[in-house]
Amino acid sequence: MAEESHIPQTVISSRKRKVGHRKGNKVMKKRKPFLGMAERVKKIDPKLKKFLRKKARDYNSDVEEDEEEGSLNDKEGFTNVDGDDYGDMEDGSDELENDSEGSETEEEDGEIQPGITKFSEGCRAFRMAFKSIMKKSVSNDSLGPVLSGHKKLLAEKLAEEAAERKVHGEAKKEKQLLGEKGHLKPANYLDSHEKFLISVATKGVVKLFNAVNKAQNAQKGLNPSRSKDAKVIKKRRKEAFFSELGKTPGAISSAKVNSFSTPAEAEGPSWAPLRDNYMLTSSKFKDWDKMPDTAVADDIGRMSEDSSSDDD
Amino acid sequence: MARIRNKKRKTFVKPVKVKKHANVDHITGDKVPKSFVFSRGKLPSPLKQLQMDLRKLMLPYTALKLKEKKRNNLKDFLNVAGPMGVTHFLIISKTDTAPFLRVARTPQGPTLTFKIHEYSLAVDVAQSQLRPRSPQDLFKNPPLIVLSGFGSAEQHLKLTTIMFQNIFPSIDVNTVKLSSCQRIVLLNYNKDTKLVDFRHYSIRLQPVGVSRRIRKFVQNHQVPDLRSLQDVSDYVTKAGYGSESEADDEAATVTLTSDLNRVNKASTKSAVKLQEIGPRMTLQLVKIEEGLCSGSVIFNEYGTVVDKNQEGRKQDNTEDSSEDDGDQEEDGDEEEK
Repeated sequence: MAEESHIPQTVISSRKRKVGHRKGNKVMKKRKPFLGMAERVKKIDPKLKKFLRKKARDYNSDVEEDEEEGSLNDKEGFTNVDGDDYGDMEDGSDELENDSEGSETEEEDGEIQPGITKFSEGCRAFRMAFKSIMKKSVSNDSLGPVLSGHKKLLAEKLAEEAAERKVHGEAKKEKQLLGEKGHLKPANYLDSHEKFLISVATKGVVKLFNAVNKAQNAQKGLNPSRSKDAKVIKKRRKEAFFSELGKTPGAISSAKVNSFSTPAEAEGPSWAPLRDNYMLTSSKFKDWDKMPDTAVADDIGRMSEDSSSDDD
Repeated sequence: MARIRNKKRKTFVKPVKVKKHANVDHITGDKVPKSFVFSRGKLPSPLKQLQMDLRKLMLPYTALKLKEKKRNNLKDFLNVAGPMGVTHFLIISKTDTAPFLRVARTPQGPTLTFKIHEYSLAVDVAQSQLRPRSPQDLFKNPPLIVLSGFGSAEQHLKLTTIMFQNIFPSIDVNTVKLSSCQRIVLLNYNKDTKLVDFRHYSIRLQPVGVSRRIRKFVQNHQVPDLRSLQDVSDYVTKAGYGSESEADDEAATVTLTSDLNRVNKASTKSAVKLQEIGPRMTLQLVKIEEGLCSGSVIFNEYGTVVDKNQEGRKQDNTEDSSEDDGDQEEDGDEEEK
């Protein structure tokens, strides 16, 4: 594993980097303590070495491009995120370069370093890079840390989205407003109009209750379910009815309190046949002129019916 | 497999409900009016709520959980109305100009179309009050109705009066129990503005001549706080701060013949207090049609009443241009029929 990771880097670097060659010396010196170990490996047959190298190249031929791209992207990302850390970044990449150059020089010497050494070096570089990233303070940008080169595009897109949402919201609000048309929240206090309405309603209730009181006072103490009492009740009601009839029509309290009205409209008598428009409103007498004889009889029958029903 | 399918299909068949209330009142022998409250077209949420409030108002003789579908037309409701003994339709619709309420008698009509100028929901009314009142059995009995200011001179007002009088069951003075009178619906016609104020109140009776403290004590079942008093008698004799307000409405007191509840006993004086429960509407009578959302126009607020011999359809077409979209929807209903 370590070896593999080591070899591709050499390949890439051999292509990419030819400048900064001199820097590598330092690394060379550093490497020396490991040479002892390297010498043991050195005994590898040159044929085998060649084969290995070729194999490694083949292996990395497709990875190469990706890696290149990746590194490119990385660099762009680093530079984009923050201007302040630029120097730091440079340091980190410098070191990376150093490593790669070191390996390059080694290769030129015809030495292959065992993976272990390389690993430790790479690890350090990685650590440095990682450290520098972690050190960075994230800017308070609304976008947050974006490692993409399309920061501007992204911002544009977000702004567009926001505008769209705004338009959408406004349309929705308008629709809701239309739906709320006529909807009125009542005030906490009672204004004069409401008070007037309540007083009208109260008058109506009082009128009904008094009427009920008057009607039910007559049958007080009697149980309508008992036949003896029922007879008495019937008699009393009849009396009450005839006494009502004797009064002036305006004074009669309506039998159907449901249809009672406030003084403004309490003009006609409540008993239907006494009303002026009795024949007009009643559907029974619509065609009264067509069959005069039967209609009259019907009328009488109806009147008696009415009186008896009012009796009850 | 097929069996399961059969079973499933059976669920679509609407079960005929066993009616709790008979069509005929067992005491008075009158036919009990029943109602459907539904909507035509899609309603915004506040109007849906208003529809629900109206259903509650029309209780108990209404379908509280009436399910309507988009494809239901007026004919469907009419078909159901016959066997169920439904006599009135309250139809809410919405146009760009305003919401509309149509009150119709089934199956023949007439139909009154009201434009809803303003409305407040029951929720809004309750929110505006410090202590909204909602006793448990508030909606168990039909409300009373009070119509005021309608007069009997004009034909269309007369028709409106009759329509609303018949929308709730009538009351027999001799047999009615006062404890069943819990709610009242008020329709007040304003001659100047030609607007009808629609209000819904709950009726509460309070014993008169008792100090507020005693009344509260009896009503609340709670042990009063006597810490600041020297003697128990102080609690009774000390005047409460709220007791003065009772004096002003002497006209609103009634004498009871029978016991109403634990507090209001027979032959005591009680004050009638009304508290609004909503919904609240300001209506304008726009149009009266002879049939059920169809037929010739008897009255029209905007156009002059055209010759009655003319065809109703023709009238509708001419009015639509001058009026609003509310009628176009009605036209659609006619075509469906």
